[in-house]
Amino acid sequence: MNITVNGDELEVRSPGLTSLLRVLRDELDVVGPKAGCEAGGCGACTVLVDGAPRRSCLTAVAAIDGAEVTTVEGLGAADDLSPVQQAFVHYYAAQCGFCTPGMVVAATHYLDSGGSDDRKEIQEALRGHVCRCTGYVKIIEAVAAARGGNFDLTTTAEGGYTTVMTGDAK
Amino acid sequence: MAKHTGRGLAAIEYPSGMNQNGDPSQAWIKVKPDGRIDVFSGTSDIGNGAKTIQSQIVAESIGVPYDWVTFDNSNTDSSPVCTGTFASRATVIAGNAVLKAAEEVKTKLLEIASAEMEIGPQDLDIIDGEVQARGAPSLTMDVADVAAAATYGHGQLITGTGAELNAFAAITNSETGEVDSPPHAAISYAACAAEVEVDDETGIVRIVRMVQAYDVGKAINPTLVEGQIEGGAVMGLGLGVLEDSYPYYPSPDHRGSHFGSYFVPGMEDLPQIETIIIENPSATGPYGAKGIGEMANNSQPPAIAAAVHDAVGVWVTELPITPERVLRALDAKAAGGGQPRREGKHIVFDEELSVNSVASGISWTSDS
Ligand code: FES
Ligand code: FES
Repeated sequence: MNITVNGDELEVRSPGLTSLLRVLRDELDVVGPKAGCEAGGCGACTVLVDGAPRRSCLTAVAAIDGAEVTTVEGLGAADDLSPVQQAFVHYYAAQCGFCTPGMVVAATHYLDSGGSDDRKEIQEALRGHVCRCTGYVKIIEAVAAARGGNFDLTTTAEGGYTTVMTGDAK
Repeated sequence: MAKHTGRGLAAIEYPSGMNQNGDPSQAWIKVKPDGRIDVFSGTSDIGNGAKTIQSQIVAESIGVPYDWVTFDNSNTDSSPVCTGTFASRATVIAGNAVLKAAEEVKTKLLEIASAEMEIGPQDLDIIDGEVQARGAPSLTMDVADVAAAATYGHGQLITGTGAELNAFAAITNSETGEVDSPPHAAISYAACAAEVEVDDETGIVRIVRMVQAYDVGKAINPTLVEGQIEGGAVMGLGLGVLEDSYPYYPSPDHRGSHFGSYFVPGMEDLPQIETIIIENPSATGPYGAKGIGEMANNSQPPAIAAAVHDAVGVWVTELPITPERVLRALDAKAAGGGQPRREGKHIVFDEELSVNSVASGISWTSDS
């Protein structure tokens, strides 16, 4: 079997029923997609298969022989981040980062297929992607702002908080 | 059968670190010949921003740009001891360790600069990577040149070490519980106001809005603080109405073993979330900071419970407030029982309101 991963055509030797997630991580050493639950419940393993988001933990590699796979690594490089990746940095949309590869891949697909910056629509589009850390607020903000990219990555987006200051140290 | 809305409020106080329980953090810092700063600290960053916060503290207290600072916590041989990232301690306890180390580095940088510039160190300060003479800002020397002079002219390695420890406090009076040393002052305070909608037919509680006010002492990085509060709020929502690791405690049966049966809050559960950051500085935290990592999810569950009471008039005394527990409490109320009343310091229930008789009830009886 062959699959193209982030532009490289690669031969796959794992048994055909091996999950795409395990092929990527264990055989091909592409470790962006995370193994969260390996049961379809968390979204951390999400990749694009021929342009559409798929849970790689539920995808037998034999079922996608010949397909083009894009992981979070394929969306941008460390010195050339994609708009969504930049937005995640600028908005502090990652804490531990475990959900981030799946979120970024799914959000990229959402925006590329014409998704709007409406919070409810983003919530609906990313539903099923579990994040234990951020409370989703900054992820939604990042996706809403991502289109076009070009964020100053040496600064951080101002949050929506109100600050109250009291007197001296005690 | 109808949906009822209600509001509830809960407050909490919380220490930073294992206050008086002996949890050291140590740090050391060295300056490279080009003036860049290497920080070695054992604090792991689990997504709480420990690396960012400690790097900010070092950059600020030495007086160099943030991006001059590298932070290495990855090597247990080169990093000094840090008890770890827990107990809301990474900013306050480990932050104080790097702060002390950075202050020592600054003193040594100024000593070298003083010899080079022939100006007393007390008349020098470091601002944005440059040593400046107080009152004569045109007399300057780059920190990079100071570090090079230390390395190639004075034969010195500029380093600093710092440690923070709230030593274990021994009990000196078993009657009163008095201990032999005072606690530190970095105590955080917070409150959550929750608005819920309770369906009295299905028992489902939907969280509509949560407002969190957290006293963080000093928000060293406000956006990170807000992220921690937002994340904690949604975890608190999970603890309040969704997540049950022992549904029939102490029986381990029926525990959710995957995301289809253990309900972590998802995008669809997200209420309106508002954050108020209160800066009420502490005397002992770095720049007045206090830790809020653990308390970030503590005020929401009781606020939700109070909001449920406001909505449908029952106290559910056990978390999470599942539809089953709400319906049982409503049944108990309909049967004429279950109204709590206050007797002195205690809230008294005549009837068991919760599904689980093991964990509840005991701490709520009048003679406890
Ligand atoms: S690892 Fe694939 S959905 Fe969780
Ligand atoms: S950032 Fe930790 S799971 Fe999302």
